[in-house]
Amino acid sequence: MSGMTCDTIRAAALDPGLQPRAWMRRPEVDAHLRCCDDCRDWLEAFGAGEHLWAAEPADTFADAVLARTAGVDALLAELPSLAEMDPGPGFAERVLRATSRNPTAAGWIVRWADAWRAVVRRPRFAWEAAYVATVCWVLIFGNPVGAWEWSASNIGAVARERLGGPVEELRADLESWRARWAPEPAAAPGAARQQADAVPPALRAWQAGTERIQRGAAYVADALKHAWTSLGEWVAWLVHEIWPPPAEPQPSPVRSTQYFDSPLRPRFPFGARGRLRSLST
Amino acid sequence: MESNELSTLIDGCRAGDALAWEAFVRQFQGRMFALAYSYVGDREDARDLAQDIFVRLYEARAQWLTGDEFLPWLFRVARNRSIDFLRRRKVRTPAVTVDETAVAELADPAPSAEARALASDRHGLLHAALRGLSAINREIVVLRDVHGLPIQQVASILGIPLGTVKSRASRARVELAERVLALARGRGGV
Repeated sequence: MSGMTCDTIRAAALDPGLQPRAWMRRPEVDAHLRCCDDCRDWLEAFGAGEHLWAAEPADTFADAVLARTAGVDALLAELPSLAEMDPGPGFAERVLRATSRNPTAAGWIVRWADAWRAVVRRPRFAWEAAYVATVCWVLIFGNPVGAWEWSASNIGAVARERLGGPVEELRADLESWRARWAPEPAAAPGAARQQADAVPPALRAWQAGTERIQRGAAYVADALKHAWTSLGEWVAWLVHEIWPPPAEPQPSPVRSTQYFDSPLRPRFPFGARGRLRSLST
Repeated sequence: MESNELSTLIDGCRAGDALAWEAFVRQFQGRMFALAYSYVGDREDARDLAQDIFVRLYEARAQWLTGDEFLPWLFRVARNRSIDFLRRRKVRTPAVTVDETAVAELADPAPSAEARALASDRHGLLHAALRGLSAINREIVVLRDVHGLPIQQVASILGIPLGTVKSRASRARVELAERVLALARGRGGV
C-alpha cells in the first residue's frame, strides 16, 4: 500500500484548504485509489451528485476523480448560503410586538422564576427531587422500614432476642478469653469523655443537629395531632350546635306513674269519689 | 455588515434605542431563523424559537458584549435557547423526521423562478443531509461551515476541546457529503 488510508483520502477530498486538484495528482494517492475498491466506490458515489454543483470533463482517471471531488468544494461553498433564511412575512413585527410588551428588564422574581423553570425542565429533576426527599424523610422521620422486624437496622435486636442464649454464652466465652490472654487496663475516669472526644466535631454537630430536627419534628407532629383532635372536637361541637339531634319525645303525662302526684292532675272539688264516700258514710 | 455599523447598533440597543433594536431585529432575523431552523427542523417551531431568542436578547440587552465577542455570545445565547426549546419539546435531535415537502418548499430570495427552484432544491437537500448528522456534528458544521465562525469560537460555544472540534469537523464534512449524495441518489439525481 502507499501509506494512504481511506480516511485520509476522504478527509483530504473534502478539505477546501488542501487544493484537492493538485493533491489528487500525487502518485501515492493515485496508487491508493487504484488498489482500494472502497475509496473508488466512495468517490464514484460521491461523483453521482457532482452535477448538483459542477460538471467537468473526465478524460483520465485522475481527472475523473478530480471531477467527482470538485463537487465537494462546491458543497462547502454552498453551506454559507444556509446562514440566512427568510422567516416569512411579519416576523420582525411579531418580535417587535413581543418585546414592546416587555419594555423593562425582567426583575429578580421573573429571573428566579425562569431559573426555577429551567431547573424543573431538566430531565433528571424528578430523580433528584425524589432523592433529596428520601434523604430528608430519613433524616427527619428515621428509617421508614425500621418498623419491619427483619430490616437491616433491626437485625441485631432480632438476633439478640431470638438467639439470646447462644449469643450470651459466646459473649461470655469471648470475654473470658480476652481476660485470660489480654487483660484490659482499668478504665480511666475520663474514658467516656475521651471516647466522645474521639468523635469528629463535624459528626457530633451533625448528630446533634439531627437529634434537634427529630425532636422538632416530633413536637410539630404532636402539635399537629393535638390541633387535629381539637379541630375535630370543635367541628363536632359546631355540627351539634347547628343541627341538634332530635329530642326524645316526652312521656305522656297520663301514662306517667307520677300522674297522680303531679300538679297537672285536675282537682275536683266534689267528684264522684267524694260523693260515693259521703253516700257510703 | 461592517463592524462599526454593528457596534453602533449594539450600543444603541444597549442604550434602549427602539429604532436600533428594530434595525437589529431586521438585520439578524434571517440568521437567527436559520440557526433556529437548524436545531428544530420545522419552520413554525423555528419562528417561535427565533422570536424567543430575540426576546431573551432584548431582556439581556444591558449585558450584551461588544466588539468581536458579540457574535460568539449571540450564538451561545441562541444555542442555549434552542436547547431549552428542544427540552421543552422533549425532542433533542429530530434526526429522522425529515419532511421532504417542507424542506423542498424552503423560502429562498432567488431572483428567478428557475434559480429559486434550483436553490431551494439545493438548500432542501443540504438541510435534509444536515438533519441526518448527529447533534454535535451538525452543530459544528452549522457554526463553522454555515455561519463561518472560527474554530476556536466554535469550541468555546460548544464547550468542547479544540482538537475535538477539528477532528469532528473533518468527519462531519465527510458524513455530510455522503448523506447529500445518498439523498441526491434517492431523489433520482436532482
